[in-house]
Amino acid sequence: MRWLSRPWQLAGMVLPALIIYSLYFTYPVVYSVLQSFTDAKAFGSSTIVGAENYTSMVDDPLFWSSLRNTAIILVISLCLLLPGAFGLALLLGRRIRGAGVLRTMVFAPNVVAPILIGLIWVFILDPHLGLLNELLRLVGVAEPPAWIGGTTLSPYSIGSVYVWQTVGFIMTIFYAGLKMLPGDVMEAAELDGAAGLKRLRYVTVPMLRETIGITTVLVITGSFKIFELVVQLTGGGPVHLSETLVSYTYHVTFGLQNYGYGMALAVITSVLGVAVALGYLAFLRRKATAA
Amino acid sequence: MSTHPLRPAMKRRTLIGSAAAGAALALGLAGCGGSVPGEDPTSADGGEPAGDGAVEITLSMQNPNVEAQDPATYEIVQAFMAENPDVVIHVEGQTVDEHNQAMQIAAQSGTLPEIFWVYNSLATQMADEGYLADLGPLLDSGDLRASFPESMLSGYVSDSSSGPVQYGVPYQGLVTGFFVNTDILAEYGLAQPATFEDLLAVAETLSAEGVTTIAKGANGTSFSVWAFLTMLNRYGYEERIDAILAGEDSYVNEDFLRLYEHIDELAEAGAFSPNVSTQDYVQAVEEYTSGNAAMLDAGVWAAGQIQESSVGAATTFWAGPTFSDGVGDQQLYMNAPSAPLVVSAAAMEDEEVAAAVERFLAFYYSDTGQQILVDNDQTPVTTYEPQVDESQTVFSSVLDVINADGWSSPEAQPDLVISAEQSSAMYDSIYGVIQGVFTPGEALQVVQDTFE
Repeated sequence: MRWLSRPWQLAGMVLPALIIYSLYFTYPVVYSVLQSFTDAKAFGSSTIVGAENYTSMVDDPLFWSSLRNTAIILVISLCLLLPGAFGLALLLGRRIRGAGVLRTMVFAPNVVAPILIGLIWVFILDPHLGLLNELLRLVGVAEPPAWIGGTTLSPYSIGSVYVWQTVGFIMTIFYAGLKMLPGDVMEAAELDGAAGLKRLRYVTVPMLRETIGITTVLVITGSFKIFELVVQLTGGGPVHLSETLVSYTYHVTFGLQNYGYGMALAVITSVLGVAVALGYLAFLRRKATAA
Repeated sequence: MSTHPLRPAMKRRTLIGSAAAGAALALGLAGCGGSVPGEDPTSADGGEPAGDGAVEITLSMQNPNVEAQDPATYEIVQAFMAENPDVVIHVEGQTVDEHNQAMQIAAQSGTLPEIFWVYNSLATQMADEGYLADLGPLLDSGDLRASFPESMLSGYVSDSSSGPVQYGVPYQGLVTGFFVNTDILAEYGLAQPATFEDLLAVAETLSAEGVTTIAKGANGTSFSVWAFLTMLNRYGYEERIDAILAGEDSYVNEDFLRLYEHIDELAEAGAFSPNVSTQDYVQAVEEYTSGNAAMLDAGVWAAGQIQESSVGAATTFWAGPTFSDGVGDQQLYMNAPSAPLVVSAAAMEDEEVAAAVERFLAFYYSDTGQQILVDNDQTPVTTYEPQVDESQTVFSSVLDVINADGWSSPEAQPDLVISAEQSSAMYDSIYGVIQGVFTPGEALQVVQDTFE
């Protein structure tokens, strides 16, 4: 039996996967970037317009509103999803009766298609027919807010639904991380007098730094990819004011058939997503170095 | 002290890699498409496999469930296959947006279905790029062309180096306006409106009673402003759109402003569905058919569904209000060719498929095919004189409007003579005023911006 240990042999083993990856991922991405510098429409030849698609974003109010909405969703996710998921993981990680069932229930929304999640929440959030405002009217709120369909609260509602949908998944990662913590270290910490919140602050959280890093990156990139929830909850309306970057990219590309500008929006969306994620990781590294 | 088994540099790479990969998925979304035609086609013959030697063609439409949502087309296909057992037609469909997206991707990937419905703005681009077959020879053979009113075909012609190309044929007639529940009006002592002032008075009265005057849904169906597009024609749209497109005139003008101010007056009077922002067109239809709105902004395609509902007997069709401050002829209804049926040029390269496609289209526009349209409450697109059953009261009221003396139709619906970007802005401008997002002036500017 021969060992396949030479570099070219190893490269040969990787090659099929590399070819498939290049065909189905790298090529579309590169193609999209190139398209973003053209005036491409749905069909026909296109001409290079340089950075015109990028500069025209500055004067596009819908780009700014979709960026703002994405930022709102991102902030809500970071402020609610991460602490919420971590708290749930701590709570359901304890040996309490029914914890397994509760974990399953919390995780359940994550296995439902986002388009159905949106449908469910429309029945809850609809300002006129929704369950939430019906309850508010019952307790005497004469004019309950327009959670969706208005010009103000839609991104907050979308962000909240995203939190509800994703919290189980992020909680599961935290739960796995907590279970991986070495028991002897935790025991030693307790013997040294670190219990409760003290142990959480000085032992558990520092030891979960990698897990927190990964979940934060997942939340950031997930927030930048929200699409189906927007489609189902608001359709991007009213008049595209609740679009996120991705749903607005879709509208421009396939709705308006403005492929060049749509690709530029996609590039900017990706760059922003990567920048925020990398910025956060750099912050984590600095914090770790300082510690 | 690190507790992780990986070296720090490797950890960094792992996290950076996952960040980059995750974020790049957003770009991947743009680089890849959605569903494509050909996935799980539903055979109109109930999914029966094609017999030996049968020619198979695909008809791709803009409804997810063609049998239920477009029974006219479905029944024409059924009748055609009954007469032509050597041809099997697979009918498939998706929602309007998904369908148009799928057709764009299919054209670029060479997987277009043989026959499909598509927005005219997309069809013209497809025709210019050679994706669509020239149906001129088909229309000229057997004198099929003579059975169409000229206006039904003229909108689907593009110029090519070898002369004009008839890239499409009308799918169905686009007769649009308001369906009116006369029982609701009578219940509050109101007569059917004729002028804008009448409509505004109805809206004010019904709003005070907590009743919706006009059922509408903007969520994902911003194109559902048909009656208001006809109103644009009552303010001179048809006469000035060419100049607007040429940059010699502006969408921001005093005439259009008056119309948008009237739309604003309706919104202020509470004329529209309170959940107009969150419901879609289908839900607006349900709002009307369940007796919760006095009117529905829709078209003849909804006549059958309304007829079968509890409000069918009380429903009549109205072309919309006339305006004392309008421009030009006010006696207008909308009966224009809708988006076309087109044929893939690649499909016509196969002689057997080409013959099957030609036979199907000839059947579609034959008197038999057109009568099936009529039986399903659709107006014929040819000169065929329809035989209307007396039970089709809603559909008859549509025919009454388009056959009324002294009334006429514009050549085309306003949104079908401009680009996708411009028509989208037009829908947004109207719904923006209805939803209170835009002032009339701002709404006009939104559209004008797309012309500049």
